[in-house]
Order: sequence, then C-alpha cells, then structure tokens
Amino acid sequence: MSETHALTGDRHGAGRYEIRLQGHLENRWAAWFDGLTLTRAGDGTTLIHGPVVDQAALFGLLQKVRDIGLPLVSVTHVEPDRPDVPAIDPR
Amino acid sequence: MPAALLETKLFLPRPRRGLVPRPRLSERLDRGSASKLMLVSAPAGFGKTTLLAEWLAAGPAAPTDERSAAWLSLDRGDNDPASFWTYVVAALRTVEPGIGASTVALLQERQPPPIETVLTTLLNDLAAITSDIVLVLDDYHVVDAQDVQDGMAFLLDHLPPHMHLVIASRADPALPLARLRARGELVETRAADLRFQPDEAAAYLNGMMGLQLTAQDVTALEGRTEGWIAALQLAALSMQGRADVAGFIAGFAGDDRYVVDYLVEEVVQRQPDRVQAFLLQTSILSRLSGPLCDAVTGQSGGKAMLEALDRGNLFLVPLDNSRRWYRYHQLFADVLHARLLDEQPDQVPDLHRRASAWYEQHGECTVAIGHALAGEDFERAADLVELAIPAMQRSRQEATIRGWIEVLPDELVRVRPVLGIGVVGALMSSGEFEGIEGRLRDAERWLDTTSDAGQGPHGPPAEMVVVDHEELPRLPGMIEVYRAALALARGDLPGTVTHARRALDLLAEDDHLGRGAAAALLGLAAWTTGDLEAAHRSYADCMASMQRAGHLSDVLGCAITLADIRIVQGRMGEAMRTYEQALWLAPAQGGSVLRGTVLRGTGDMHVGMSAIHRERGDLDAARQHLLWSEEHGEHTGLPQNRYRWRVAMARVREAEGDLPGALDLLDEAERRYVGDFSPNVRPVAASTARVWVAQGRLAEALGWARQQGLSVEDDLSYLHEFEHVTLARVLLARHPVARALDEATELLERLLRAAEDGGRTGSVIEILVLQALAQQLRGDVPAALVPLERALELAEPEGYVRRFVDEGSPMAVLLVSAAERGIAPSYVQRLLAAFAKPEPEISPTADQGLVEPLSGRELDVLRLLGSDLGGPEIARELIVALNTVRTHTKSIYAKLGVNNRRAAVRRAEELGLLSRTRNTRPPVVRRP
Repeated sequence: MSETHALTGDRHGAGRYEIRLQGHLENRWAAWFDGLTLTRAGDGTTLIHGPVVDQAALFGLLQKVRDIGLPLVSVTHVEPDRPDVPAIDPR
Repeated sequence: MPAALLETKLFLPRPRRGLVPRPRLSERLDRGSASKLMLVSAPAGFGKTTLLAEWLAAGPAAPTDERSAAWLSLDRGDNDPASFWTYVVAALRTVEPGIGASTVALLQERQPPPIETVLTTLLNDLAAITSDIVLVLDDYHVVDAQDVQDGMAFLLDHLPPHMHLVIASRADPALPLARLRARGELVETRAADLRFQPDEAAAYLNGMMGLQLTAQDVTALEGRTEGWIAALQLAALSMQGRADVAGFIAGFAGDDRYVVDYLVEEVVQRQPDRVQAFLLQTSILSRLSGPLCDAVTGQSGGKAMLEALDRGNLFLVPLDNSRRWYRYHQLFADVLHARLLDEQPDQVPDLHRRASAWYEQHGECTVAIGHALAGEDFERAADLVELAIPAMQRSRQEATIRGWIEVLPDELVRVRPVLGIGVVGALMSSGEFEGIEGRLRDAERWLDTTSDAGQGPHGPPAEMVVVDHEELPRLPGMIEVYRAALALARGDLPGTVTHARRALDLLAEDDHLGRGAAAALLGLAAWTTGDLEAAHRSYADCMASMQRAGHLSDVLGCAITLADIRIVQGRMGEAMRTYEQALWLAPAQGGSVLRGTVLRGTGDMHVGMSAIHRERGDLDAARQHLLWSEEHGEHTGLPQNRYRWRVAMARVREAEGDLPGALDLLDEAERRYVGDFSPNVRPVAASTARVWVAQGRLAEALGWARQQGLSVEDDLSYLHEFEHVTLARVLLARHPVARALDEATELLERLLRAAEDGGRTGSVIEILVLQALAQQLRGDVPAALVPLERALELAEPEGYVRRFVDEGSPMAVLLVSAAERGIAPSYVQRLLAAFAKPEPEISPTADQGLVEPLSGRELDVLRLLGSDLGGPEIARELIVALNTVRTHTKSIYAKLGVNNRRAAVRRAEELGLLSRTRNTRPPVVRRP
C-alpha cells in the first residue's frame, strides 16, 4: 500500500525523484541521503533516486546536495509507469 | 536579553596566518562598503568566511574612515524571528553597546507588534549613530522562514546610509536582489570570483604550504579541483610530508570520485586510529569544546586533541579568542558525518544522547533538544521540551516550540499532560486553534481521578509522564482557561463564562497569570453581552492579577477596556482616572523619557485621555496627547493603538471643522484595524458614515447602512448600538424625505429604552440630544427641550461639551431657548461660549509650521507618499511623469528636513499636513 502510494505520487509532491549530480559519490553516502540509492554513471555523474515523501523532504535532499558542494545537474520526477532506472556502473 | 545567547555566534573570526592575499576581492569589497548590501554567495568551501574575516581585519580602505564590524553566524534556530532579531541586536551591541533596547523588549511582548514596528525602533537607534557599521550575517542559507526574510527586506529598505549589510550564503537570499542591483545598492562576490585562479593556486600550494610543485602539477590540481579552495587545502594537507607527491597527484587527478570525499579520506587515513575515531564521533557536533568532546567520546583529553587538530590545520575553526570553542569546517564535518552514518550507524543515537545530556547539564536546552531529536530519542526530547516550554514562551520563541511539536510523536505527548498543555498554550498564543480540544482531552484523562486514569480509548493503559511537577497542579485550571478561550473564539458566550468561572475555582490564589487570563475571558464575555458592570468587575480583577504577575503592558491593556466601559456608562471622570492611574505604572512616567524605556501601552493611555479632553472641549490638550503618542513611536502602543490613534485624531479634525481631513484619517484607521477577542463596538465605518452625514453626503451614508444590513426594525443590542444611533442620524438628515423623521423617532425611542436598561448613560445622553433635534425638526421647540433638559442634567457633572457643540447651529438655537427658560443656566452659557469660539480657517498651504511651505502639488504628492503606492503608481495617479514625482519628492524632503519617505510621512502627520485637503483632490486609490 505504502509502496503504491510512493509510486503514484500525490498532491503533496510525494513520489520518486532522480537527482543527478556532477561527480561520483560512493555508496557510503546513501545513509547521509536518508537511504536513497546512489548510482554512478559513465559520464562522471551520480544519480540519487528513490521515494520522497513530500516536497519538503525533496528540498531537504537538495539542501544536502548544496551543502556538500557538488554541482546539481538535474532533478526529475519519475512517472509511476516508468520502470526503475537500470543501475549503470555499480561499484 | 535572554540569558541563553551564545557568544560564539557573535565571534568575529580572525584570519589565519598563511592566507593567499586576494587584492582583487578586497578591492571589490572596499568598493561595496559604500552600498547597502554586499552579497557573498557561493557553495561550501569557497572561502567566503575567510575572505570576509581577512577583509574586516585589514580595516577600511581609507585610514580616515571609521568603521566598526559586527558578526553573526546564523544557525537553523534563527528561523524563529524572535531568536534571529535578538541575535542581530546582540551582534550590533558588540560594536554599539545598549543599542536596540526597545527592539528586544518588543520581541518578548505577549502580543508583539508587527515586525516593521519592532525594526523601526532598531532603525531609529541605528540612524542615531554616526560612524559606519558593517554587519556580517554568515551562513545566511540556513534562514528559510518567510517572516525572517520579510523582516530583512524591510530592514534593507530602510537601512540608514552608514549601515552596511554583508550576507554570506550558499544560496542567494530571498531578498529583492534585482531591484538592489538595478539601483547600484548591491555588490556581489560569487563562486566564479572566489575560485582560486591558477596564480593564486600556485601561490597557495608553493608559497604558503611550501610544496615545491611543478607548474604542471599545479595545473593538474587546479583543474581537478576547479579552483575549489577547500579541495585545494585538503590536497595540500594530503601532500604535506608525503614522499611521492607526483604519484598522489596522478592518482587524484585520474580519479573521478567526489573531490572532498577522496581527499578527506586521504587526510584522515594518515591520522592515528585514536584521532580518526575522535573525528568521526565528534562529527555530530555543530560546536566543539574539550569537555563536550570528552562527554561524547567517553574519553579524556578532548581539549588537547582539539588543539592538536587546530595546529595541524585539520579544518577546525576557532569560535572564540580563548580557544575553548571550535567547529569543523562544514564540508569536512559533512564528509566525516556521512562516513560515521555509513560505518557506525549504531553508535549515532548514543553519541547524540551523550551530547544532549551534556548540553542539558550546561543549561542549553535548545541544543540538548536538537541532539535528542537528531538521535531519535523522542522520550528524552519530550521530557526536555516539557521543561523548556515556559521559558521559551516567555521569550516568545513559539516558532521553535511549534517546530519541536511537529517532530515529537503524538503518543508521547499524549501521556505527558504538562507537555500537552504547554503545547496548547504555545499554539493558542500564536493563533492556532485546530486540534486544541483533542489535546485538552488527552491531558484531562490523566487528571480525572474518577475514571480509570491512563486508560486510553484504545490500546493498553499507559503510564502518565510528568517532568515538571510544579506545573501539574495548575493543569485543571489552565485547561478550563483554554476551554473558555476556545468557546469565545467560537462565539459561545455562555460556554466562555462557564469555563472561565471553573478556571477561577480551580486555579491557586497565587497563580496570577492563570487567574488574570480567566478574568479577562469573563470580562470579554460580559462586555459582549452588554453587561458592563460585570465586565468592569472582571477586567478590574484581571488588571490586579496582571499587576501582581508583573505584566505591566497587560495592565495598561486592561485599563483601555475599563475606560471604554466607563465612557459608555457616561462616567468620563472615572475613565480619566483609570488612564491616569495606569500611567503611574509606566516607569518613565513624568520626567524625562529615555529612549527605549517607555512601557508599551503608554501610547494607548494618551490616546484615551485625548478623547476625553476632546469631549470636554479642550482641543489643545487633546492634540497634545495625540502628539505624545505619535512622537514616542508606534512601539509605545499596543496593537490596536495604530487605528485608535487615527480615530481619535479624526474626531479632533472634525471638531476643527476639517471634515475631509477626518475622513482621510478614518480611511487609514480602517486599513490599520486589527481585531482581537474584544467586541468591535464602534466600527470605523460607522464613524465615517457620521462624517458623511455632517457633509451632507447622504447617498454614501445610506449606502453604508444598506451594506451593514442595518434597519430600524432590527433587534437592538449593545454590540450594534453605535451603528443604530448612526442610522438614526442618517434618517434625521434625510428629513423631510418619506417617513425618515418618524422612523428616526421610533428608533431613538427604542434605543433610549435599551441604553437606559443597560446603564449606558453615555449613550443615553447622545440619544436624548438626537431626540431633541428630531422634535426641533418637527418645529416643536417645547417638546425638544424635554429630552434636552434631561441630557444637560446627565452631562453637566461629567463636563460634556462636544456632545452638544458638534451638532452645530440647530443645537445652538435650542440651547438659547433652554437658556431663556432658565434650564441649567451656567452650563448652557458655557456650551454657548464654546460654539462662539471660531476655529481657524484652514487653507491648504498656509500655517504649515514650516519655514518654506509646501505647494499645493507637493501636498498632493505628500498625501500619496502616505499611501501604499509606489513611485510609478503615484505618477499615474497624478497624471504626471515619474521624474516630476521625484522632483516634488526631493523638494518635499528638503522642506520637511527628512531624507526618506517614512520620515516624510511621519513629519507630515505631526504637522497635520496630510489631512489638509485641496479642493481638487486626486482620487486616492484604496487597497482592498
């Protein structure tokens, strides 16, 4: 139930998000980013992705990105019907 | 000032030795030091703080310039406006002791005035200083509260020219930057400026750090770090004492991991295990001291460790001169913290718990609560919040309390009745009523000894938790106080009375605040039903309680209501004594009034006294009291004084015969009206309708009556008496149209009975006066003299004058007839003499009290400057070019001897210029 809820999103902005950063972040940063999944891409970027409860939580994440000084490349809301992004270059 | 101010937040950082000189940036800041705002906006680790510390330490560009610098390092707690502005004042006090006394006092008021009023007191203090002041707000990105940002925007807008703000932030602040840029009032230093240029990188690595790197190495490092200073510093640290520097650089440059992560690991790995453990464990702390670190790590030698780290340049920033407090550089701390979370997640709650305990022992409850919440030890957090609430409420930090409540799990609050009721108090005093009843019931379950205490509606019985045992006995009474307030907010008067009475039965004799609140609620309920004597009794009780509790502003607030009640009862002398006695409480009464020491509410006493002087025909005294309130500033008035002052001034203008001026003031009063729990028995709109009647604008007056849904058939109550009497005036003015006079007569008859039954002699006098005028309209003078004689009889002992004189020549004619029949001869003579006194003819440009009077057009512009309109809107309004408006504005400032819009409007109000009206008045656009 909670899974469906997170996937479909709602008016509070809950749903899956992908945050792409310039630079490679190791998996050990997953706990810092509240347990979201980190995936490194071949182009030197890192994708942080997973369910976000609401807009406030999303902005909290973005603040953490800002605070470690990694350039932000993109933030994308993932449509529920889209399959989860395949892991690229997992270390 | 609250005791718990952290000195370390005000510490002006000293530049470290071995910094790369950056003349291009200091020069930019020197140029900027003439502007309002300097913004240093760049991500973490770009050297913002270092740059500013170095620039301030170098002193002003020209040695003759005098400049003092204040510093404030912000943290998340400063999203509470009370905390933010208290710290701003504290920072300014490091360079200007004693500044902002009234600002701090106002921030702690039970009903704080709008932030503009609070900040105006600070701006006034700042304006009085002659030398340049630079205020640095570091880490401004932690501020996201809208009300703090709004206050900052206001401060910036009104900043005196010698005051300069510096904001260092990782994100651009939500301030009108584009506007400031366009006006040349903003100087920016951004990431691109702060990055180390290749020559700076070389100077740093080879010069300061003594690493003999080749140009190629420097380029490689500079390229990999992109000039990011923190990264270059870490790289330099990693290379110090390393044999294979070239190998390190090659490895670093060839890796695409997060730069800081990579480098911190390099640096940390080279430390002994003991140091590594220390760094990880203390990474949860936002400030570090030896004893605190010892408590968190469970080891000793924290102080020596910190000193060693400081010597080793391990990203430790000193927070004072005595090397007691430090913090890690934020990036360094974040990397360490991320590693801690990853490698030793089980340790984290324990570390926070120990930090929380240490802060609790050292009396810093806010930080202690923060650590308890961060470690998710909600029980501990709940206990601490319970103990903290009373002091936090006293210092008006309700926003912080609300933040805690949002995080604490409900089930923990439910088993803590003292905490629950504390939460209710914090919510209700910031105007939140939702969910209150549920919280009251939760607390009540524990107090109800007749049922199974602790037996929740569902689930197993829980244990009641109480930390603050002294509060527990107050709860039953306070619950009733909050119930009474809830009932009043719903408009349930019997409910209000029932709960407030119960509260008084339950509260201890020495619980002055609780008893005062209950008495005020009883008084409000009685007032709303028109039971004036009961209302007066309750308010007098409230006043006594508040005085015993030492809440003097609340005492003055009670005095306003007590006097209002006496005035309706026709007991002006007693009303005057109420004001006078209340004024004795104000510490600065009588003698010289020092800035910042005027008790809030004093302004209201003067406004009230003004109204009585006016009624008694002493317009000079009336004007003087209003001037006192105006001169001493809005902060000497309670929230409603802003509108009450304007209503009182409008009445003075009316008496002077300046009806358009009165209307302008009433218009402003309407816009500044703020409601509270007390009934609005004299709506401003009704006063406006009365002036329309006096001007013969009957269509507008009738429109008002229609809009309010008033009719002669209405049931009468005290709440609408003022409006119904106004309606009677409208009808009398309509005569001889239709049955207007008959309708007015019938309405007045009913109004008279209602006022007599309610003991409202003040209203009775006015109604009798109108009855006399009605009879006069019928041509029956003997019949008119009957109510007039009664009115005179009631009015004479209290010295009413304007009640009769304001009615104009028809009343003068009646009074002459009364004199001929020997009715109250000496009083009538006095009244007739008051008619005779001619009020000075007011022409728009004459007698402005200025050396060089304002022209008619300037008066037009001035009047619009007093509105909310901006320059372009004013130009449109007057159908002139914007430049013309600017020329007029400059000339107005020069003639009034001011240098900004606010001051111009204030000065103009003092001189009574805003109410002088030209015949060709431009329409003033009113905001909805």
